[in-house]
Amino acid sequence: MKNIKTTSLVLTLPWILTFVIFWLFPLIYSIVISFSDYQLLSKSFDWVGFDNYKSLLYDQDFIQALKNTFIFVAGTIPFTTVIALGLALLINSEFPGQGIFRSGYFLPSITSMVVIALIFTNLYQRGGYVSYLASLVGFTPPENGFLYNNRTALFSIMAMDVWMASGYYMLIFLSGLKAIPKELYEAAKISGAGQIRQFFHITLPMLKPVMLFILVINSIKSFQVFVEIFVMTKGKFETSTMVYYLYEKGLTTKFQLGYASAAAYVLFIIIAIFSIIQFLLFRKRQPLW
Amino acid sequence: MVTNKFLLFFKYIILTIILLVMIFPLLWMFRISLMPTGNSIGLINIISSQITFNNYLELFRTSNMGRFLFNSIFVGIIVTVGNIFFCFMTAYAIARYKFIVNKLLFVSVIIILMIPVHIIIIPMYILMVKAKLYDSFGALILPWLVNPIGIFLVKQYIESIPPSMEEAARIDGAGEFKILFKIVMPLCKPALAVLAIQVFFTNWNSFLFPFILTQSEQYRTLPVALALFQGHQAIDWQHLMAGSTIAVLPILLVFLMMQKQIVSGITAGGIKQ
Repeated sequence: MKNIKTTSLVLTLPWILTFVIFWLFPLIYSIVISFSDYQLLSKSFDWVGFDNYKSLLYDQDFIQALKNTFIFVAGTIPFTTVIALGLALLINSEFPGQGIFRSGYFLPSITSMVVIALIFTNLYQRGGYVSYLASLVGFTPPENGFLYNNRTALFSIMAMDVWMASGYYMLIFLSGLKAIPKELYEAAKISGAGQIRQFFHITLPMLKPVMLFILVINSIKSFQVFVEIFVMTKGKFETSTMVYYLYEKGLTTKFQLGYASAAAYVLFIIIAIFSIIQFLLFRKRQPLW
Repeated sequence: MVTNKFLLFFKYIILTIILLVMIFPLLWMFRISLMPTGNSIGLINIISSQITFNNYLELFRTSNMGRFLFNSIFVGIIVTVGNIFFCFMTAYAIARYKFIVNKLLFVSVIIILMIPVHIIIIPMYILMVKAKLYDSFGALILPWLVNPIGIFLVKQYIESIPPSMEEAARIDGAGEFKILFKIVMPLCKPALAVLAIQVFFTNWNSFLFPFILTQSEQYRTLPVALALFQGHQAIDWQHLMAGSTIAVLPILLVFLMMQKQIVSGITAGGIKQ
């Protein structure tokens, strides 16, 4: 028994060390310094209580980043979810070539975000392919390209994200669709329910757990959008998001580590609240649709 | 019947259009990487300009591309191997040795699984600077040698294996480590393959932490190099897209070879709720 206990400890040691050193300690440490004015360059370190959190409220850049992040989350997730579900329904049945389409749709999600962002920087640039498409349908593209414009930059990045993520969530929806017992549809057919009624009364309710999973992980991910902002606009043209903001404050120019940690915890709390709300919405009232 | 055939035909057309939309940007990238430098990236040039592989050669000659590629492969392999062993070991202990400590460890796995990673950006940076690991392979490798999703996946898999073989081996007098690595680990191959692919892909594409934890070109991985490449004046699209193609190619090849495992990995992630 004692022997097994030692074995168990040896086996779990890598995780214990990783958990303590690279997760638990950073988590606690960043709460602590979020109450200080810790700056790397000036070497200052004084306790300031809730001052960082208070000044965040008056920081225009922070409010802007907060707003942009909410626009990003609210503007991408519904589209991604609906498109992903649509794609999943479209290729759910067995037909020749199904695998090719499934893999093709999924391809963007396994590609590096940096690469995707670079390609779209090219597509969105002045006189680029998207401008060409826009003028084809009679829409005047922004003069300096889609990313150098306050009105279009954020939405262009969001469109790219929807395009990129849909295939991934399609796969998850597909696994959810596969798990629905066929007998349900047969019973519905016998009682004369049409395709549309089957969808709303069987498919959607049965997909609820998968839907919850997709909404939660997608919003956790979207609240933390950073890479595409860094690569495509560097936070300019009203595209700065929360994580971009905390990167800019904490790890560039003045290295305001305490202040940036406070911003990080604000986002942390927002994400936590959001996830809890999603869980409650899905748990409480059974017939959501 | 006629309407059915027509519907199917219509479905294929829609599916194909979507497929084109999905893979078009990657084809665009590849096409630009084959354009002679000096050609502007106009639509007409994209279609008509000649094809050359010079950009790839120049990229390796004039930049540290070889170094970046090596870094990405080196870090990717070590992190993947680390995860295969460490996730398996932890998962086995949690699945089979029912101590209270191990139950608590599983709780820690679940908590970290749910924590948004942005929260450790700043403290991780400070930690690496203080530990003198900033801008080293240590910073790129050490935090990621074992991951909660991996532990979770493998634990679920081990629990689906009946423990009878292990018990038999134990009666025969086999040591715990022998049982672990000689009997259980081979049985877990499917789950470990899924884990390995996921870890390698994530690591290969990872930008945020390699970016904030390194500085010099010596430790720069491919995605970081590409993101910083465009910093200089006018963007040199031909070379940038050649570098991007190099970054995508290994992933694409692995994906085409191992689609089944990759899809089942995603599906397993979806089912865990």
